[in-house]
Amino acid sequence: MTRWPVAITGLGCICAAGGTVPECLDSLYAGRRAPAPPERFVSSHPTPFPVFEVRDFREPPELLRTSALAVQAAREALADAGFSAAELRGLRVGVCVGTTVGSALNDEGFCRAHRAGEEPNLFPMERILNSNPAAVIARAFDCTGPCQTVVNACASGTDAVGLAASWIRGGICDVAIAGGADELGRITYHGFISLMITDDSPCKPFDRDRKGLNLGEGAGMLVLESEQVRARRGARARSFVMGYGSACDAYHLTAPHPEGAGLRQAVAEALACCAVAPDQVCFVNAHGTGTPDNDRVESRVLAELFPGVPYHSTKGYTGHTLGAAGGIEAVFTVACLERGLVPGSAGFANADPELAGEPLRGNLEVTGGLALSQSLAFGGSNSVLLFGKGDAA
Amino acid sequence: MTRLVVKGIGVAGAFGTGVESFQSALAEGRATVGSVEVATGEGVVTVPAYRADTAALEEFVPKRALRRVDNYSKLALLGSYLALKDAGMLGADLGRLGLVIASGYGATATTYAFLDSLISGGDTCASPTHFANSVHNAAAANVAITLGIRGPSLTVSQFDMSVPSALVSARQWLAEGRVDAVLFGAVDEVSELVAYLQHRRYGPRHVAAMAPFDAGTESSIIGEGAAFLVLTRDDGGTAYCGIDSVETGNVFGGGLSLPDDALMLLGADGRKELGRRYLDTVAAGATAACYTPIYGSMPAAAAFDLAAAALALKNGQAFASPAGPGPFAPDSAGVSRICSLRLAGPSEYATVLMSKL
Repeated sequence: MTRWPVAITGLGCICAAGGTVPECLDSLYAGRRAPAPPERFVSSHPTPFPVFEVRDFREPPELLRTSALAVQAAREALADAGFSAAELRGLRVGVCVGTTVGSALNDEGFCRAHRAGEEPNLFPMERILNSNPAAVIARAFDCTGPCQTVVNACASGTDAVGLAASWIRGGICDVAIAGGADELGRITYHGFISLMITDDSPCKPFDRDRKGLNLGEGAGMLVLESEQVRARRGARARSFVMGYGSACDAYHLTAPHPEGAGLRQAVAEALACCAVAPDQVCFVNAHGTGTPDNDRVESRVLAELFPGVPYHSTKGYTGHTLGAAGGIEAVFTVACLERGLVPGSAGFANADPELAGEPLRGNLEVTGGLALSQSLAFGGSNSVLLFGKGDAA
Repeated sequence: MTRLVVKGIGVAGAFGTGVESFQSALAEGRATVGSVEVATGEGVVTVPAYRADTAALEEFVPKRALRRVDNYSKLALLGSYLALKDAGMLGADLGRLGLVIASGYGATATTYAFLDSLISGGDTCASPTHFANSVHNAAAANVAITLGIRGPSLTVSQFDMSVPSALVSARQWLAEGRVDAVLFGAVDEVSELVAYLQHRRYGPRHVAAMAPFDAGTESSIIGEGAAFLVLTRDDGGTAYCGIDSVETGNVFGGGLSLPDDALMLLGADGRKELGRRYLDTVAAGATAACYTPIYGSMPAAAAFDLAAAALALKNGQAFASPAGPGPFAPDSAGVSRICSLRLAGPSEYATVLMSKL
C-alpha cells in the first residue's frame, strides 16, 4: 500500500482572505475576516446571509467566474514553482480540478427566459460548455497531459490533488496543476438556504452557538512535479503529498455518517500510504463548516483518531468555498506547515460541551513534519490529504 | 502499465436493457429513435431522441425506495446493478470496490427543476430536494447508498471527454492497489433543457436517422442511458476483454498516433464539425466502425463504445457499422484489437486500446 511522496513546488490561491497566498496567510494569522451580505448578486430573501465574496476580481465575459478564478490561482502557482511558459510546453502537464458548479448547465437567466416563452440567446450555455475548469487551465497554459474536472461536491478539490499525485506516480504526466475552484452565485446561495444549513451571522466552526455555514468562493491550486523534472530544474519542494485516502459513507445524500465511517476509512488510507501513526501529525485542517452535523461528526473522529493533535478550521476566513475548499485548504495546510505556524479558528469562541474537543483559538507554532487536510461532502464523499514538510528554504 | 479487464457489463439505453438487448441491437444495426416534446418560443416542438426506460430497476430495488430518486440516478442505478450482476458480484462483499462515474452534463432535468422552483416560487421557495439531487455526484451517492459501496467514489464531468478522463483515474486506482475492482460507468439523460438546446442549435429540421460520416449533414440525435463496466486487474480469469492503454491529450501537443493493427471505433455522432475531424484523423481506407447510431449522441456514449468493443472482442467478431456510408473499409471478419477514439473540441482526443484475451 506504500505510495511514494510527490513534490509540491508551487502554490496559488484567491479567495475572500486574499488575492494571493501571502495575502491569504496575512489574513489568517491576523485573524482578519469580512463576511457580508452578497454584493455581486441580488436576493429577495428577507434574511441577508453573510458570504465571503472575492470582491476585487472580474472574470472575462467569455468565461465562467469559476474557471477565471482557477486560472488566476494556477498562474500564481506556476510562477511560484518557477515555471516559464516555454518550460511547460516541453513537458506533459496534467490538470485536475475540483468544482461543484463549474460544469453544471444551470444559467438562471437562460432558464427564466425559456420559461417565459422567449428564445434566449445561447451564449450563457455556450459559455458553460467552454468553461470546464480543467480544460480552461489546460488551454491557458498549453497543457498536453490528462485533463480532469472532479465533481465530488465539497470534497472535489481534495480529491483532485490526490488524483493528480497518483498521475505523477504512475508516470501519466510530469507535472500536474491540481486544486479546486468555485464561484458563488444566486443558485448556490438559495440552494444552501433552502437546506437550512446556513448561518445568518458570521460562521462559527466547532462553536457551541454555531448555526451553519457561510458560503464563499475562490480557487486554490498546487503544482505537483515528478522527481525527474524537479531534479533537472533544481526546484525546491515546498511540501510533499505523502498520502491520500477517500471513502464513501453510503449513508445519506446530504448528511454525514453519524460515526464518521467514511472519514475514518479515508484517514486510515491516507496514513497507511506512508505508514504514519496519528501522533506524527502535527496539525489537522478540518473541514469545519460550522454546521451542527459536520462539526459534531468531525470533532468526534478527530478526538478518537488524533487525541491531542491540534486542529483548526479556516472556513471562518474564507467561507465554505465548496469544490474549491479542498484546494484552498491544501494550499493553507502546506503553507502553514512550511512556516511552522497554524492560525486559530476564526469565529470560535465558546466550547461546545457536546463536542469531544475544541479547535485552535489562536495561532500556534508547530515543529512537526506532517499535517492533514480533510473534506466531507454531499453524497457521503470523504477525502483526506497528508502533507509532509518540504526541502529547507 | 497495468492491464485491466472488463468483468461485467451493464447497459440501458433506447435499445433496451442489458447485454443481450444491446448485443442484438448492435448485431441488427437497430436504432430505436423516440422523441421528446419541448416548449419553444414558437410553440411545442418534437425533438428526436433516444430514450431509455428504467422500469427494469424494480427487479433490483423496491419501487417505494425509488420515490425520491430522479431519472438520472435511476439510470446509474440500473447500469450499476446490471454490471455487478453480469460480473457475478451482486450480493458479494463490495469492501474493495471503487466507484467511478462519468457524466457530461449531470442531472440536467433536476438542475432545471431546481431553477424552476427558484423562478416560479421566488428566492424563498427554492426546492431543497431538487438542490440536493442536482449535485453532480448525486448518482454516485445513490449508487453507493443503495448498493452499500464504501470504497472510494469519484464523479468526473469533462463534457465529451468525461469517460476517457475518468478511466485514467479508475486505472490508477487499480494500478496502485487502492481497490480490487472498479464499478465504472457513464450516465447522461435527455431532459427538456438538453432537447431545447439541441433544437436551438440544429432545428427546426431534425433528421430521422444519424449519419455520422455524412460531412454535409447535421445529423446528431440526442440520447440517454447508462453504460457500466466492472473493471479489475488482469488476473487471468474469465472476462470480456482487456484494456491495454488509455491515452488522453490534445493535438497541439502532437503525438496522436493510432495503431494500424486495430479496428478503429469512432465516436462520431452526427455533429458535422466533429465528423470532419474524425475523417481527418483516421486514414481513409482504415478498418473502422461507428456504433453511435445505436445509442445516440451524448457524452456517455463513449462508455457504450467501450461496452460494444468488449462484446465484439469477446465474440471475436466486430459488429457491422450502422453509421452509413463512409471512407472506411468494411469490418474485418475477426477482430482481436479495438481502439476506441474520442475527439472533442478543436484539439482534444482520447484513445482506449482494448484487446481479446
